[in-house]
Amino acid sequence: MDFAFLATQMVSGFSLATLLFLNASGLTLIFGVGRIFNFAHGSFYMLGAYFGYQVSAVWGLPFWPAILVAGAAAGIVGSASEYLFLRRIYGRPHEGGFQILLTYCLILIFDDLVKMIWGSEYKSIAKPPGFLGAVQVGDVFIPTYNLAIIAVGLLVVLAAWWILSRTRAGRIARASAVDREILGCLGVNVPLTLTVVFGLATALGGMTGALAAPLRSVTPGAGIEIIIDSLIVVVLGGMGNFWGAWFGAILLGEVNAFAVAFVPEWSSLFSYIVMVLTLIFRPEGLFAPARIRKA
Amino acid sequence: MKSRKIALWIVLMLVVFLPSLGFAQEKVIRIGALYPMTGRSGLYGMDSVAAAEMAIDEINAKGGAAGYKLDIIFTDSKSKPAYAVRVAERYITEDKVHFLFGVVSSAVGLAVTEISRQNKVIFIGTDHAATELTLDNFQPYYFRVSNNTFQSMTAGALYLKELQKEKPWKTISYIGPDYAYGHSQLDEIQYNLKRFGVDFQLVSKYLPKLYEPDYTSFITSLIKDKPDVLVSGFWGGDTVAFIKQAKAYGLFEKMLYFHPDAGGNYEVMSALGAEMPAGLVLSARHHNNWPDTELNRRYVAEFKRRTGRYPTYAAEGAYAGIYAIARAVEKVGTPDNTEALVKALEGLQIKLPEDPDGFTSYIDPQTHQIVQVQAIGVSVPDDNFPPAKMMLGKWKVYKAEDLLPPKELIEKRLKK
Repeated sequence: MDFAFLATQMVSGFSLATLLFLNASGLTLIFGVGRIFNFAHGSFYMLGAYFGYQVSAVWGLPFWPAILVAGAAAGIVGSASEYLFLRRIYGRPHEGGFQILLTYCLILIFDDLVKMIWGSEYKSIAKPPGFLGAVQVGDVFIPTYNLAIIAVGLLVVLAAWWILSRTRAGRIARASAVDREILGCLGVNVPLTLTVVFGLATALGGMTGALAAPLRSVTPGAGIEIIIDSLIVVVLGGMGNFWGAWFGAILLGEVNAFAVAFVPEWSSLFSYIVMVLTLIFRPEGLFAPARIRKA
Repeated sequence: MKSRKIALWIVLMLVVFLPSLGFAQEKVIRIGALYPMTGRSGLYGMDSVAAAEMAIDEINAKGGAAGYKLDIIFTDSKSKPAYAVRVAERYITEDKVHFLFGVVSSAVGLAVTEISRQNKVIFIGTDHAATELTLDNFQPYYFRVSNNTFQSMTAGALYLKELQKEKPWKTISYIGPDYAYGHSQLDEIQYNLKRFGVDFQLVSKYLPKLYEPDYTSFITSLIKDKPDVLVSGFWGGDTVAFIKQAKAYGLFEKMLYFHPDAGGNYEVMSALGAEMPAGLVLSARHHNNWPDTELNRRYVAEFKRRTGRYPTYAAEGAYAGIYAIARAVEKVGTPDNTEALVKALEGLQIKLPEDPDGFTSYIDPQTHQIVQVQAIGVSVPDDNFPPAKMMLGKWKVYKAEDLLPPKELIEKRLKK
C-alpha cells in the first residue's frame, strides 16, 4: 500500500464527497430554514439532469451555461411545487408526516412525467470540451472533470457562506429558521421567503443533477437512488446545518473510498455504520455548534 | 304499432346480448404479464411490453394459435417480489390466466415461480438471468426463454481460454452488483475457468450496491490492483455510469474490460454514443446487429417502426415467450390442459431472431431452460443503429450445447 495510492484514494473520496455535498446542501438548507423535509429533493436532481440533457444535448447550448439553465429550471419547478402543494400543509398537526407523504408523491409524479416526456431510455450528456482527460500529479491521477466538480463544490460553499452570513436575505432566511411568527410580525413576508428558499434549494439539486450527468446515467428513478446517501450526509452534519453537510459529505466520501480499498466486499456497509453510530451518540449531528448540543 | 315495438325490443336484446355471446364463444389464451414500468428497469419493462404486443399482433393476424386468439394483461411489478406475488395470485384467481409471463428482476422471478408451482399455472420467464430458477429452484411449471448467467459465463470462460493463447493473461479482477445476479456471475466465471483448465488468479473482487451512482473509489482501487482482465457483472445503467467514470482514468487502456452477460446491451451503446470506448469485449442476450438473418433484421426493423427506438435485449425475451406459448398451444390444441402444455413446452423448438442460420432455439426438457447460441463481440465504430455510435463486431460464436452446465452439476443442483 504505497503513498501514491493512498493519495489517489483520498482524492477519489473528495470527488465523491463533493457531489454528495452538492446533493445534500439543498436538502439541508430547506430543512434548516423551513423545517421542511423534502423527500423529493432527489427528483429535482433528476429533473436537473434531464433539463441539462434537453438544453445541451438536444438544443445544443454550451455545457456550462446549460448547467445553470438546468438548475434555474429545476428551481422554478421547485418554487411552483412549494407554492402549489407544500404551502397548504404548513402548520398542520403532525406536519412532518404530511411532508414526507406529500414529497414522496412528488417523487412518483416526477418519475412518470420524466418518462412521458423523455421516454425510459438512458440519456447522457457529454463532458464539456477541455475536461475529457486527466491531470497527473506524481503518480496520482485525477480526471479534470472531477477537479471541476470539486471546484464548483467549493464555490457553492463560499457563495452560500457569503449569502447566509453577510446579506440581508441570508439573515432573513436564518431568522425564519428560528421563529417564523416573530419574523412575520417584523414585516417580513415569510411565505415568500420559504418559496424563494425552496426554489434555491431545488435549484442547487437541479444543478447537481446536471453536473453529475456526464458521469452517471440519466434515468427515471435516479432521484430515489441518491436521496439515501444525501440523507446520511445531512444526518452526519446535523439536520439543517449547511457547513455540517460539507464536513459530513467529506467524512462519508473518505470512509467510502478507504472501505473500498481495504475491505471491498463490505464497503457499502460502512456509510450505514457511521450513520447509526451518529444517530445513537450524536443525534444532533457530528458538526452541530456547541450551543445546539447543550439545548 | 305493436309489431314495431316488438321489433324494437328484439333489436335492443340483440344489441345487449349478442356481443357478450360473441365474447363467450371467442376462444382466447389469457396471459398475465408482470413487468417493471417505473424507475430504472422501466426501460426493460416497456420494451418487453412492446415486443410481446408485437408478437401477439403477428400471431393473431394469422388467425391465432389453434384457433385461439392471444390476449395479454400487463401490470407493473414495481420490481417488488411481495407486490408481484399479489398480482400473480390475482391473475390466477380473478383473471383465470392460462400463463404467467414476464419479469425482469430475478428476485421477482424467484417469488413468482413459487406461486406458479403452488397453483400449477405455467410461468414463462422472459428475462431474468439467475441460474437458480432452472436449477436449485426448479419446478415443473416454470420455463425460461432467455439465457441464464451460467450460459453467458460459460461462453465468457471459453472466450478467455482462447484469448490466453493469443494474448497471454494471468490475473483477473471482478466487479458486479451486490445481489444474487452479481454474486452468481462471480462464482460462475471462476467455476467455468477452472472447469476448462484455465490457469488464472483472482486478485480482487468488488461488489458495490446496485445502482451505486459513483464508482470513483472502485476505479482507482482497480487500477492499483493491475489485473490483466476486469470481469464485469454490471447491469443496465450501472454499466453506463461505470464506463463514463472509468474512461477519464484511462482504465480501459490499463486492462481488458470483459462483460459477457449484459455489457453489450444496446441501451449501453445508445446512452454512451461516441463516449463508448473501442475494444471492450461484451455480449448480451440479444444483439440488434447479430446474427445478420432475415428474421433478426425484420424483428429489429418492425420494433423500431412500432416504437421509434431500437429494442433492448429484454424485448426479444418477451417476443420469444409469446411464440413459445403459441407453439405449445398449437401442439396441444387447447390452452386449458396444463399438463399437456408442460409436455409440449419440454423440448419445444422455436426459431427466434437471435438464432443464427442453421440453429433453432429449444427448451431443455430436464431444466426447462432455453438452449441458445451466444456470440461475444468487441466494441467497434458502427452508426447503423443511432443514437449508438459504437456497436459490437469481430464476433466469436459459441455453440448452444457447449454452454450448458455439466450433467453432474445439473443433477446435484436439481436435487437441492
